[in-house]
Amino acid sequence: MNLGLAEIRRARLRFGLLTTAVALLVFLVLLLSTLGGALVGSLTGALDRLDAAGLVYAGNARDNIAASRLDPSVADAVAAVPGVAAVGAVGTFTTRAPLDGTATDVQLFGFTPGAPGAPTGLSEGRLPTAAGEVAVDGRGVAIGDTIDLENGEGALTVVGLLRGSQFNALPTLYVPLDAYTSAVTAANPGLPFVPINAVAFDVDPGADAAAVAAAVTEAVPATQAYTRADAVARIPGISSISQSFGILVGLTFVIGIVVIGFFFLILTVQKLRAFTLLRAIGASTGSLAATVALQISVVVVAASAVALGLTALALQGLSTGIPVALSPSTVITTVVAVWLFSLLAGMLSVRRIARIDPATAVGSR
Amino acid sequence: MTESVEPILRVQGLRKTYGEGHTQVVAVDGADMTVDEGEFVALLGPSGSGKTTLISMIGGLLAPTSGTVGLGATEVTAMSRKELTRFRATQVGFVFQSANLVPFLTARENLLYVASLVGTPKKDAHARVDQLLEELGLADRAGNLPEQLSGGERQRVAIGRALMNDPDLVLVDEPTAALDTAMGRSVVELLQREIKSRGKTGIMVTHDLRMVEYTDRVFEILDGVLTHVERPSALEH
Ligand SMILES: Nc1ncnc2c1ncn2[C@@H]1O[C@H](COP(=O)(O)OP(=O)(O)O)[C@@H](O)[C@H]1O
Ligand SMILES: [Mg+2]
Repeated sequence: MNLGLAEIRRARLRFGLLTTAVALLVFLVLLLSTLGGALVGSLTGALDRLDAAGLVYAGNARDNIAASRLDPSVADAVAAVPGVAAVGAVGTFTTRAPLDGTATDVQLFGFTPGAPGAPTGLSEGRLPTAAGEVAVDGRGVAIGDTIDLENGEGALTVVGLLRGSQFNALPTLYVPLDAYTSAVTAANPGLPFVPINAVAFDVDPGADAAAVAAAVTEAVPATQAYTRADAVARIPGISSISQSFGILVGLTFVIGIVVIGFFFLILTVQKLRAFTLLRAIGASTGSLAATVALQISVVVVAASAVALGLTALALQGLSTGIPVALSPSTVITTVVAVWLFSLLAGMLSVRRIARIDPATAVGSR
Repeated sequence: MTESVEPILRVQGLRKTYGEGHTQVVAVDGADMTVDEGEFVALLGPSGSGKTTLISMIGGLLAPTSGTVGLGATEVTAMSRKELTRFRATQVGFVFQSANLVPFLTARENLLYVASLVGTPKKDAHARVDQLLEELGLADRAGNLPEQLSGGERQRVAIGRALMNDPDLVLVDEPTAALDTAMGRSVVELLQREIKSRGKTGIMVTHDLRMVEYTDRVFEILDGVLTHVERPSALEH
């Protein structure tokens, strides 16, 4: 004979409405954190998933890789700094190419094969090793496809597919640095030399990447070096985007918890007569509190299942232009957090239950 | 022989005061009372005389200002809050004036819940509920919620609830207050039969003299002062 489940059975509408409300809020939390994560990921993925301990920009680039122009010889200067194990030049620019049938903006990255700065996140195929080969993170591209960059920058054969490696929320193409250089030259005839945007570096085993980055900034004039994590965090606009999504997710979350907490408090207050009677005939405060905890758990589990379904449907139906996937860790974190904090909010009810004086069950008082 | 057996319920110098100073109310004023095992006694008195306060203290619901209550081997007044909760679940059966049942549980579930408080095995609990509801004439109402039952039926379910855990003492507070006379009589009659047939000890609070005939002995309480009466004073007028 379970008190909590029996009450849910008898008050299906009431609990159904609450579950729906909680499900919508959990759905919003899931959707917002997934979209936020996907947006940030597609803005930063290229740097985040770069195979390097740190990046060196031009000192006047304001932490913006696209605005950074370095003479390729800077790579050698960086390599000479104590603590630096290896370096690789990285170049990037935005161009256009027909992808999935339509001409779209794409981000082109040039990296030095076998050196720091190569992309990770290969999901299929391999990284390009020769001019004319490309690895792509973008929709509607398959291995073996040919991509014609505009302005005669070159025709590329897709040899690898990447995930989580986009930049600027654009489909992102990775080619060897030589191919990158000729593409830039084709787009800008008459350039005296093709600058690189950054130098990716690895550090000696046991060396602290932050300390090495500081040493590079110090040793190589007109540069600014960052660890990879710092470089990602400093991508212009990223922190405010993350914060905005954080606030949205946080507020939705808090509203959900407050709804649950107050709902169960109201339910408890409405049931005080019954709870008082039960205390009088020998139910412990703990067993009544467990009833509330069980009901909260049932509501959260049911609401989460509904929310998960809604989120999956929404992600299928929404066309966002960036790769979006529901990550199990987001789902688990969200559901566990909602559950724990709901139980915490249930303490409002438990406090009320603990104050019950069983003697008041007697008589007509 | 019977004199040598210790009474199951022993109340000594039991006192309860509410408030302090000028406004102090002496709800129960040094009550002494013993009840033998198997006895069904009435506690008679006008409204506000201290009946509810007295049985609340006896049933471990209310801490006395002073005095002691012993039930069998249990010293009720020496127990902690936690022990009292357990005591109420295992050793006492309560029937209150009204609002006796959990509104969202059926008659059957109201009884089953009480069994779950003391961890009765499911099978035993179900068998006992069926038997009790049958005896109380409620077999066909088992699946009904309290709101679907009449006042008398509700009090009968409450009697079943009180007997569910096979308590040592059944405490009944004005069980007929919400019922009409005929209904009240039949409920008390049933109560007496259930208590007697099980050899239970019971105290029934009432201010209705006509209910006294169902009990073995009568205590009377007036302004908190308890007396054992051969013949209820109100009957003399
Ligand atoms: N919680 C309380 N606080 C203050 N006074 C109370 C309280 N409970 C009962 N009383 C007082 O104690 C006296 C006895 O009350 P009660 O035991 O309920 O009487 P009865 O059950 O005989 O009607 C009354 O004067 C009542 O007002
Ligand atoms: Mg009373």
